[in-house]
Amino acid sequence: MKIIVSIKQVPNVTKVKWDEDGSLIRAGLPTIINPVDKNAIEAALQLKEKHGGEVTVVSMGPGQVESALREALCMGADKAIQLTDRKFAGADTWATSYTIGCAIEKIGDYDLVITGVEAMDGNTAQVGPQMAEYLKLPLLSYAVGLEAEGNKVRIKQKLGDYERTLETETPALVTVEKEINNYRVTPIDKILEAFEKDIPVWGVDDIGADLVHLGLKGSPTKLRKVYSPKIEKGQVEMLDGTPEDIARQVVGKLNDKFLI
Amino acid sequence: MDFTLSPVNKMVKKAAKDFCERIVPEIDAYMAEHKDYPPDLMEKFAKASMLGFDVPKEYGGLETTNLNLILLIEEFGKTASTCFLPLLMNNSVAETICHWGSEEVKKKFVPPLCDGSAWATMAFTEPDTGSDPKMLTTTAQPDGDDFIINGCKRFISMANKPGYGVFICKDLSLAGESQDSTAFIIDKSSEGISFSGHYDLTGLDGADTCDVYFNNVRVPKENILGKQGQGFNVLLRWISGERIQQAAGMVGVGQAAVEESKKYSLQRNVNGMPMGYMQGFYWMLGEMKVKVDACRLMVYNAVLRQDAGKSFDTASAEVKVFTTPLIQEVTRMGVQFHGSYGYSKEYLIEKLFRIAMHQGVVASSLEINKTIVGMTALMSK
Repeated sequence: MKIIVSIKQVPNVTKVKWDEDGSLIRAGLPTIINPVDKNAIEAALQLKEKHGGEVTVVSMGPGQVESALREALCMGADKAIQLTDRKFAGADTWATSYTIGCAIEKIGDYDLVITGVEAMDGNTAQVGPQMAEYLKLPLLSYAVGLEAEGNKVRIKQKLGDYERTLETETPALVTVEKEINNYRVTPIDKILEAFEKDIPVWGVDDIGADLVHLGLKGSPTKLRKVYSPKIEKGQVEMLDGTPEDIARQVVGKLNDKFLI
Repeated sequence: MDFTLSPVNKMVKKAAKDFCERIVPEIDAYMAEHKDYPPDLMEKFAKASMLGFDVPKEYGGLETTNLNLILLIEEFGKTASTCFLPLLMNNSVAETICHWGSEEVKKKFVPPLCDGSAWATMAFTEPDTGSDPKMLTTTAQPDGDDFIINGCKRFISMANKPGYGVFICKDLSLAGESQDSTAFIIDKSSEGISFSGHYDLTGLDGADTCDVYFNNVRVPKENILGKQGQGFNVLLRWISGERIQQAAGMVGVGQAAVEESKKYSLQRNVNGMPMGYMQGFYWMLGEMKVKVDACRLMVYNAVLRQDAGKSFDTASAEVKVFTTPLIQEVTRMGVQFHGSYGYSKEYLIEKLFRIAMHQGVVASSLEINKTIVGMTALMSK
C-alpha cells in the first residue's frame, strides 16, 4: 500500500505572540509537527505495518520545514519530500492545497493520502478537503478509525455525538482526528536511519505548478484582521430531547426567524 | 573537547523525553502498586528500540554510541523512576557479552537482550565478600562438560526475571591460581536456582533486588564468558561502563532537582513576591545548577573516551567520585528549598533525594572508586 502523508510545521502555540492585525508572529518561535499530523503519520505507519508498502511524507514551508520532515522519517516514514520555493510563500488554504496537490500528482501511484483534520495555528480544516477536490479523490474526513482491505478503505467518522462508518475505493484522501491513535515514541533505530536519508527539495518547476495559483498572488483569501468578536448577551433557551430531536427543534427555530 | 550535540543526539534526547512523559508514568503506577517491574517492560523498551545501543547490528543491536545511551538515561533520571535500571542492564550486559564472548555465545545470548525477550543480570556481590574476588564463596566445580554452581549472590537486580545473568564465581578448577574467578552466563530459570523476596530499599522504588541461591546448578562449559580466570576482569570492565550510565541517570536526577526547585520558587509567594527572587534562594539555585552542569561535563568526558575506544576505567571511577556527593547534595538542597513540603511524598524532590542516595553504594561503592582514582594517581608516571 502506497501512502502519502501531508504534514505541516507549526509554531509551538503555547509560546505565541500576535501582531496588531492579529496575525501570528512566527519569527523566533520554536516549531513542531502539527500534533494531529503526527496521528496521520502514525495511521499511515500502522497501515504499512499491516499491509506492507511505503509511506512518503510531504510538507510545504520555508527551509526549516526540513526538521519536521526529518522527524517524520524518525517516526518510520520511508521517504520525505520538501516543498520549498519563494513563490509558495503567503499561500492561503487553497493555494496550499493546490501546491501540495501538484506535488502528490508528481509523486503519483498512490493508494491513500492522509493528513490531520486541521493545523493548530489556523484551525481551518480546509486543506485536506481542498486537496481531495483538486486531486478528484473521494474524501473521508474526521476519521477516528481507519482500515484498509484490498482496494477498499473504511473509516469511522465522528461528528460531535454522531458516528458513522464510511467506505470508498482507493485512491482516496483521509483526514484524521487525534483520537484515531496514540502516535508512537520515535524509535531509536529509525532515528539513526533517518539521518542517513536525503530529503529532496522541490520547487515550482519540479511540481509543474501554474504560477497563477501559487503563494500570496494565487490566494483568493486575504487576511485583513483577526479579532475577537464582540459578545452580546442574549436569551438562552435550553432544549430537551435526543440529539436528533434537538437538531430538528434548532432548525425549526432558525427557520422561524428566517435565518436559514 | 567538543560537547556540541549532533542532530541525532538531540533527536534521541527528544524521543527519550517523549517516552518519559507518555510511557513512564504508567510504568511507575504499576511499580507503585506491585512493588515490581511490569512484566511487559522490556517489550516497551524494545518497541521504542532502546536496547542494544553499543551492540553490532548483526546481533540485533543499534550499533550506535554510548553518548546516545547516556543522553537517553539522563532523561529517565529526571523522572526519578527506577525503570531505567533494567534498560541499563540489558544494554550493558549485551555489550559485555559482545566484548568477551565467542561467536556462539554472542549469537545465542545477545539477540534476546536486544529484542527484549530476556532480562539481563550481572552478579558479583555476596553476603560477606566485599570487592575482593579472592573472597568469593559462590563456587563452580567442573563436572564433565559442565560446571556445578553452589552458593549465594546478594542484592541482585532483575535476578528473578526470565533471561540470562552473568555470574562471577570462584572456579575450583583454578584453585591455587592468582586469578581464580570465572564469569558464567546462566539461564535464571535453571533447575536449582531460587530467590529471596525483594529487598525494601530506601530509594529505587519498585526495584526487584533480591538474593539468588544456587543449589547444584548445572551450567555447560560453553557458557563461560571470556576465559577461565578472567571473571573479575569481565566485572571491572562492565562496571566501568555501568558507572558512567548510572551517573548519567543521576545527572538527570540533579537536573530535575534544579527544575523542581525553580518551579516551586516561582509558585510560592513570600511577602507578595515569588520566593525565588529572594537572594538566599537564587543563590542556592545557582549553586545547584553549577554542580549539575559540572557533573554532566564529567559524564560526557568519560563517555566520549569510551566511544573513542580509549581507556575509560579511571575516568569512570572519577565520574563516580565527583558526581555522587554533588548530586546527593543538590537533591538535599532541593529538599531544603521546598521546606517542609520537600520532606513530603507529595513532591517529586523527596523521591529524587532518595534515589540519589543509591549512587554511593550501588554499582561499586564511592570509596572503592576513590581507591581506583587515588592508586592510579599514585602509580602513574
